[in-house]
Amino acid sequence: MAPASQPERAVAAPKSNTDVVLLDLVEFVAEQDKPSAREGLVEIVRQVRESGTDVFALVDSELLYADLHACVCPELTGVVVSHLESVAQVEEADSLISKLEDERGIPPGTLEMVFSLDTAQANQDAFEIASASRRITGLTLGRAELVMDLRPEPSGEIHLMQYLMQKLITVAGAIGVPAYGAWWRTPDRGLLATPENTGEAALRGRAIGFKGSFCVLENQVAPMNQGFTPSAQEATEAGKLLESYRAAVSEGTASIRQGDRIIDSGTALRARLLIDRAAACEAHDKAKVDALAGRPVPAP
Amino acid sequence: MADHIAVHRSGLTMPVVTPRFIDNAWRRGCDFINMDLEDSVPQHTKGYARTLIKDAITNVTKGGAEAFTRINHDLVLADLEGIIWPGLAKVNYPKAEYGEEIQLLDRIISRLEQERGIRPGTVEIGADIETSVGVANAYDIAAASPRVREFGGAGGYDMSRDLGVEMFVGFDQFVYGKGEVELAALALGLEPHTAPFTANTTGSVGDPDRAFREAEAARKCGFRVGGGLHPNVVEPQTRGFTPTQEEVDEAHQVLEQYRQLEVSGETWAETDGNIIDRYEAARARKLLAWSKLCAARDQEKAEAFARVEAAEA
Repeated sequence: MAPASQPERAVAAPKSNTDVVLLDLVEFVAEQDKPSAREGLVEIVRQVRESGTDVFALVDSELLYADLHACVCPELTGVVVSHLESVAQVEEADSLISKLEDERGIPPGTLEMVFSLDTAQANQDAFEIASASRRITGLTLGRAELVMDLRPEPSGEIHLMQYLMQKLITVAGAIGVPAYGAWWRTPDRGLLATPENTGEAALRGRAIGFKGSFCVLENQVAPMNQGFTPSAQEATEAGKLLESYRAAVSEGTASIRQGDRIIDSGTALRARLLIDRAAACEAHDKAKVDALAGRPVPAP
Repeated sequence: MADHIAVHRSGLTMPVVTPRFIDNAWRRGCDFINMDLEDSVPQHTKGYARTLIKDAITNVTKGGAEAFTRINHDLVLADLEGIIWPGLAKVNYPKAEYGEEIQLLDRIISRLEQERGIRPGTVEIGADIETSVGVANAYDIAAASPRVREFGGAGGYDMSRDLGVEMFVGFDQFVYGKGEVELAALALGLEPHTAPFTANTTGSVGDPDRAFREAEAARKCGFRVGGGLHPNVVEPQTRGFTPTQEEVDEAHQVLEQYRQLEVSGETWAETDGNIIDRYEAARARKLLAWSKLCAARDQEKAEAFARVEAAEA
């Protein structure tokens, strides 16, 4: 996440090895800097895109017209819409993006939308909001704990967040899109944390079903990537499990015992997904290296 | 009371049919007294109990507390006819399950306010969520009337019985229901009346240290509403829900640092391991406003107390 008001930081962001650059017009841009940040945004999108990284813009649903006019261009992957309160806002954003796609020579329906459900009303109506546009490719809570003013419990958990995270992940599953976020605990707040705490938040986040997360500081990117990537050991174990399962199936059984665990089709499918995920992460990491080195990157 | 944000840090629920509780209630220093017509009142005295409320309102409020009454879920009309009198601030409605129930309460209360010379909209409704059906309809219930200003529940004895879960366990058995209820309250801009989980495996209701720890933890999570069953917990709850002088000083400091941040054009800064940004500034402002309300409420109660003592002397 790089403030759109700091072009040099935004353009340098791909070097941090991030998968996505999120150009922020909402959280880390001072109110008085927003007009000038919007003016230069398309140029920043183009420059970031040249490095091969996906580029999103974080827009404010209360300032939709200004923000979307400022960022929509063929090089933009999509937008993360924050401070949503209603289905009507989603429909408004969707139709405005359609209009801008048409005006700016972008194939219709290609710009993605990720919804940041960071208000209480958005979380209350999560399923309806998430179902309101076919452009949706992800859900996140964004900085909900700050927007909703949720605070640390004595346990170190941020109050209400376990409920909100599970609700978001369930809704995302029902819609069929990934949920983005990490399981932050105090003293972490608003996507800010030390690299060590970021890594732990990412590991916990992956464990409860998030697929990746935004972060704010460059030194958070590596622990975030590591936390959300299956380790080599996990992939090896999954491979062995799958082999045992296949051998069992070929002998006519549907489940086998391995140590103290039962392996069946469900376990095998999980192992298969982990192996696929590990391979996808590896391929994506290689593509990023090639892109940064200026080598041609095959289409996904 | 209806014109300003309510300060409901501490309160006692007591059977209205027990004179020694009611007669001493004003001395307890609570922000509110909740006179019960429900679980603590024997079935055969329900009719008599509601006739006591009118006089008891004057009695329990003379030390500055607000007067609430908990009615019976199945005796709404008779209970409301008996209790809506000038001075009553809130009707607590147990086991709320449908928005229509709250709308019915609202209509009856509106009529009684008009008939009995009470300013329209004065009497608040406390819609207590204590069943699974109530959790499923939480948002509709909370949204059913502007008289619902604080909203919570989804825990406690009735909820544990309804769900068939144990009451005194070392984990939070009500995560989902409390989440639904709190989210509904936040979405509607109501004061959430809930608390972070703290294990109470003994079922203690009168331990002052425990009451303070719980209130303090709840306040640090942003909650402001208390209440209990034992006089021992009144003072610790009032104290636990009131910001300390140190926190007030810190809030002033945060606002000063935020003013400097705004001048610099940055959106955030880190000072001594703490983040300063617009969210921290908003929290600081909220804490200072709450601190002022608490002080005003304490002053109000002290003055009322002094008046009674002077009159008795």
